Formats: sequence, structure tokens, C-alpha cells
Amino acid sequence: MTKAAGAIEIEGTVVDCLPNAMFRVELANGHTVLAHISGKIRKNYIKIVLLDRVLVELSPYDLNRGRILFRYRT
Amino acid sequence: MDSPHFSAGAPPAVGTHATVERAGDLQWQAVEDGDVVGRAEASRRPDGRTFVSIDTWHGAVFDLLATAVPADLPGPLQTMVDEGDHDLTDRWRRAGFTLRRREREYVVATGRPVGSRTPADVTILGPGSADVSALRELYDAVRAEVDADAGWDTMPVEVPPGAPLDPARYAVAEAAGRYVGLIRVVSRRRHARIGLVAVRTAERRRGIAGALLTDALGTLHRNGIPTVTAEVDEHNTAAAALFECVGAQRVGGTVFLEREA
Repeated sequence: MTKAAGAIEIEGTVVDCLPNAMFRVELANGHTVLAHISGKIRKNYIKIVLLDRVLVELSPYDLNRGRILFRYRT
Repeated sequence: MDSPHFSAGAPPAVGTHATVERAGDLQWQAVEDGDVVGRAEASRRPDGRTFVSIDTWHGAVFDLLATAVPADLPGPLQTMVDEGDHDLTDRWRRAGFTLRRREREYVVATGRPVGSRTPADVTILGPGSADVSALRELYDAVRAEVDADAGWDTMPVEVPPGAPLDPARYAVAEAAGRYVGLIRVVSRRRHARIGLVAVRTAERRRGIAGALLTDALGTLHRNGIPTVTAEVDEHNTAAAALFECVGAQRVGGTVFLEREA
């Protein structure tokens, strides 16, 4: 069984919507990251808006960057 | 601008000896030294189209998956990219994908006074007020008109025929006892999105779409929603003019790419 290399997934809240489909997400641990939408979310035409709760995968190379994997229903 | 999809800090050697394997019926993963370094997924929609997505932190791994997935999947493939992400768009293009459609995204402030008047013989029925069967008849007529013209298959969003209509999401324009136009608005938190504005072909150029939009903006403003977004096909000049007339600002867009079989 393979595993995702260095994958850290953490919940957060979208606190800022930036140009080019980038978002500032405040994580549950208080840290804030710059995140883009995953291809999977874009493929399914899911829109992310301010204050959405999301699941973010942090980049293994830059913990200030992430990818939004999932938007929780509110 | 560099693609936000790939981390600048990724070691350049990553992905150079990765291999792609199937992880499920429509899932693939790139594996290197026992670690998953990228994933791809396809989904088939009821309308027959297949959409693919790739998520990885490495450009080289993206290229690997973008080559492997089409080789596994017969038939045309579609994907979507933010229009500002030129690096990602270029990578899809190198994998054989070409531009199918470009959508502009607009944001409109709901509190801005707009001057579009409702024609004298037209009444706007707000969300939740439309008769469901009459709304269905209008919706089906609009669908048939689009089918006969541009068609729905160029739209990245899926619009299945016969899908249930929620009257709470529609306002309609009525003239002489007949529904002639509609607008669909979906609200979430302090934000809303306009999914569709349509007027019967014979009733166009009378200001009905403008009246529907003006009424919807007013309703949203009264409900405490300050902005609304909408996506418009770049070739749909009438729709672009409609939104720009109410002060819409272009904030981005989506590129819809397709790879022929």
C-alpha cells in the first residue's frame, strides 16, 4: 500500500478570496496558508466562498501553501 | 506567473523516475520510491462527457499523468483551468488539450442603483412565486432554444434535462399570462451566484433580462447579500453587456479545455 508523500491534511476556514482562484485559509491550528483549488474541485464546478470550511492539503515543500481538497457542507 | 499548483520549493529531481499506476476504475496515481507523488481522476457525467483532473506538487509528475490518463481513456476528455494559471494551461495543451470555451467571471454589487425598468406589460414574480408547471414549460422551451443554437455541451457545468426545478431559486417574468423569462439565483452565506438568465427568443430585446437581473439584485440586497457572481461565455456579447450595464466587474475566468479522441 502506497502513501501520499508527506501529505498533511487539515481543516480550515476561508478568510480571504484572492485573484486567480487563490484563497487565504485559516487552519484549525491558527496558522494561515495560501491555497489554490484542487483540480478535482474545479472539475466538479464547486465554488468556494468566504467563510467556507474546507479541507486543505499542505504542500510538503512549503507549509505556507496548500490545496483545497474538499468543501464541507454548511 | 508561476502555477500555484506546483510548489517552488520542490526538489527538481522529484518525479524523474515516477511511474503511473491505476488506483481505481477512473483513478490513477504517480508513485515514486513507494510514495504517491500525484493523483489523477476522471468522472463520467450523465451527458456522456468525461472530465479529468490532476493534482500534484510537481510539474514533471503532472506531465506524466497528463500523458498516461488519455492513453487509458478512449474518447474526448475535458478539463477546466483558472484562466490566470498559464503554466497549468500550457501543460494541458502540451498533453493535447485545446481551448473549447472561456468563461468570464463577473462580480456585481447588489446595492448599486441600476436603471433597468421593467416593461409595462411585464410582471416580475420573485423567488418562490412561480407556478412550477409553468416554470417547467418555460425552462424546457429555453433548453430547446439553446439546444438548437449553441447547445449545452460547450458548458462546463452539467445541465441535465429534466432535472427538478426548485421554484425558490427562480424569479420569472410574466407577460400576458405567460412566463417569458427567468433568472436562477443560488444564495449561500453572504454570497450569491446567478446560474442562468434566459428570455424566450421572441421576447428578447425588450429589456426583460435587465428587469429580471435588476429585480434579483434588489432582492439580494434587501436580504443582506452584498455581492453576486456570474460566469459568461466570452463570445456571448449580449450576456456580457447585460452584466456590465449593472456595474459588473470582471474578476477572473475559467478556461475549458478539450482533448479529441
